[in-house]
Amino acid sequence: MGELKLKPQKNARTIEEINAKIRKGDAQVLTAEEMKKLVESSGVEVAFKEVDVVTTGTFGAMCSSGAIINIGHSDPPIKIDRAFMNDVPICHPGAAVDLYIGATAMSETQPYEYGGGHLIEDLVNGKEVELRAAAYGTDCYPRNSLKTNLTKDDLNQFYLLNFRNCYQHYNCAVNSRDETIYTYMGKLLPKMRNATYSGAGELNPLMNDPDYETIGIGTRIFLGGAQGYVIGEGTQHEAKSQNGTLMVRGNAKKMSSEFLRGASFTRYGTTLYVGLGIPIPILNLGLAKKAAIRDEEIFTNVVDYGVPRRDRPKLAKVSYKELKSGAITVGDKKIKVSSLSSLKTARKVAGTLKSWVENGEFYLTAPVERLPLDNVFKPMKQTESTPFVVNVMQTAVTCRETEEVRAIAERIVTKSVNHIVVVDSLGKLTGIVTSWDVTRAMAEGKTKLADIMTRRVVTTKPNEPLETASKKMAQHSISALPVINDEGKVLGIVTSEDVSKLLGM
Amino acid sequence: MVRLLLRFGEEIVDQPIVSEIILELKVPINIITALVNSKGGEVLAEVPQEAMDKVVAALRKRGATVSLPKLIEVETEKCISCGSCVSLCPVEAITLDNELSVVFSKEKCVGSTCSACVDACPVKAIKSVKQNNHELINSRLKGVTGKKR
Repeated sequence: MGELKLKPQKNARTIEEINAKIRKGDAQVLTAEEMKKLVESSGVEVAFKEVDVVTTGTFGAMCSSGAIINIGHSDPPIKIDRAFMNDVPICHPGAAVDLYIGATAMSETQPYEYGGGHLIEDLVNGKEVELRAAAYGTDCYPRNSLKTNLTKDDLNQFYLLNFRNCYQHYNCAVNSRDETIYTYMGKLLPKMRNATYSGAGELNPLMNDPDYETIGIGTRIFLGGAQGYVIGEGTQHEAKSQNGTLMVRGNAKKMSSEFLRGASFTRYGTTLYVGLGIPIPILNLGLAKKAAIRDEEIFTNVVDYGVPRRDRPKLAKVSYKELKSGAITVGDKKIKVSSLSSLKTARKVAGTLKSWVENGEFYLTAPVERLPLDNVFKPMKQTESTPFVVNVMQTAVTCRETEEVRAIAERIVTKSVNHIVVVDSLGKLTGIVTSWDVTRAMAEGKTKLADIMTRRVVTTKPNEPLETASKKMAQHSISALPVINDEGKVLGIVTSEDVSKLLGM
Repeated sequence: MVRLLLRFGEEIVDQPIVSEIILELKVPINIITALVNSKGGEVLAEVPQEAMDKVVAALRKRGATVSLPKLIEVETEKCISCGSCVSLCPVEAITLDNELSVVFSKEKCVGSTCSACVDACPVKAIKSVKQNNHELINSRLKGVTGKKR
């Protein structure tokens, strides 16, 4: 990236000049993919001379999205306190009838199936939606409840207002656990049998202007199939680590569901797929170089989502070229990888934006203010500590597989425990046996531990949040989890009783 | 080859029915997926077109239910071609073409006995339709034209 850190060069082209060319229909516009090919075949100098604008695009699940709507006043008027549209709870952060539809808010009657994202898509498609509202009633807003049906034409304002969109790049996710997990990175099979990633790589708008020379407050963009604007940096924006994000706004009444789709991730919740594209004016040679960036130069971390912690283990570094090839390598393991965002639609965004500029339907704007380049994305300040397995685990009472059931029964009594962990000579977990198993073995006349022990054991690790361990026990209807390290060595045991004592559940 | 979905109830699940039929009829039966436990079993199997009638008769004689497997159904107009499903498919029935569109191959798909892709689709464009046992009757079976491979 060294050569890309050049000081912004004296501009050889201005936005006014480019707009004059657009007006005449003379502007030379390439999509980001076309630009990269041109630079490869003819060199950056030629590309810089020939190209005025490079269009970019991305289409992915962007949870920090939503729409601000104004529904007008009823008679008698109401100051809405609680509201639902198609059973999706709607925020009422401001005055009487201004509402915000959050993409991740889920329907109370169809949770995980229908949510704010779907509601926005339905409104965009002109569908009628049902509004129910309740209020406490005031002298000026006497009404207590309300029910009505609305379409987008009935709304005074219907603006997409997304506080974090267009992540410059994102993690690639895998799962090291023994069970499938469902995350905001999609379905992750056990033992790293698949991987998922998100982001358009070399097509991503921010990757093509990584120093935010042309993208800033006021930049006109493609948003959901209509024209919108960048209104600031997005939340969690951190340009220097290539984790830039944007806050954007656009008139949703003009948008199309081809570029704005409600979605639901199994056992995670609902969200909104947003199509976003930005035209990069090639004002100087440096910008031409930056817009030539290729997938093989863009790297991301393979992160283990099987560890439910903020700082999840990073297992490898891969390029977007590898990700787009369909397989990545972690250690000596080849893992099939798929994208969660649609590269096909990202291409379509860049292509549509290109045609808009070529046809004089879209003019470029210079930012009125630059976005911050030195932001740091801080972790949360926590004033209360949360418990982890390590905080409650106890020494495990262990035995060997070769022991007799009778010996185990005695140990259960003398140690007064319900669970005995079976280990091998190295202290590694091979099974578990409970007082219930022993009672049954006695009743059935079985004497060998090997015949009654459970070999497929659900386990935990010391750094696992206690809430996760507790969920595991509930899910599998069990009352204890052996605590093991990465090598499978038994470190202790955590029981549901210990958890209840601490979490009060 | 024709694909058949075989179901075995609790009372017959411990019997080697498929093996017996292979030996008795000398017909190759290719088991593609199998989900079997003490409560019963569901097996997706391929049999040669010409031997289908006698295999079906032999299975039914032994108490198994035979039906045509419903494959996974994809509503292409809903699909956004994200590709979330691609890495989950164990038989590469779901791929991306040159245009980056998600392409689904009915021939390769092992059907509703797998269904790994179904709950990974963010726009719910993939459905696995499990067929009812009574759905298959002899007359329907006769009309089957299995894809030759």
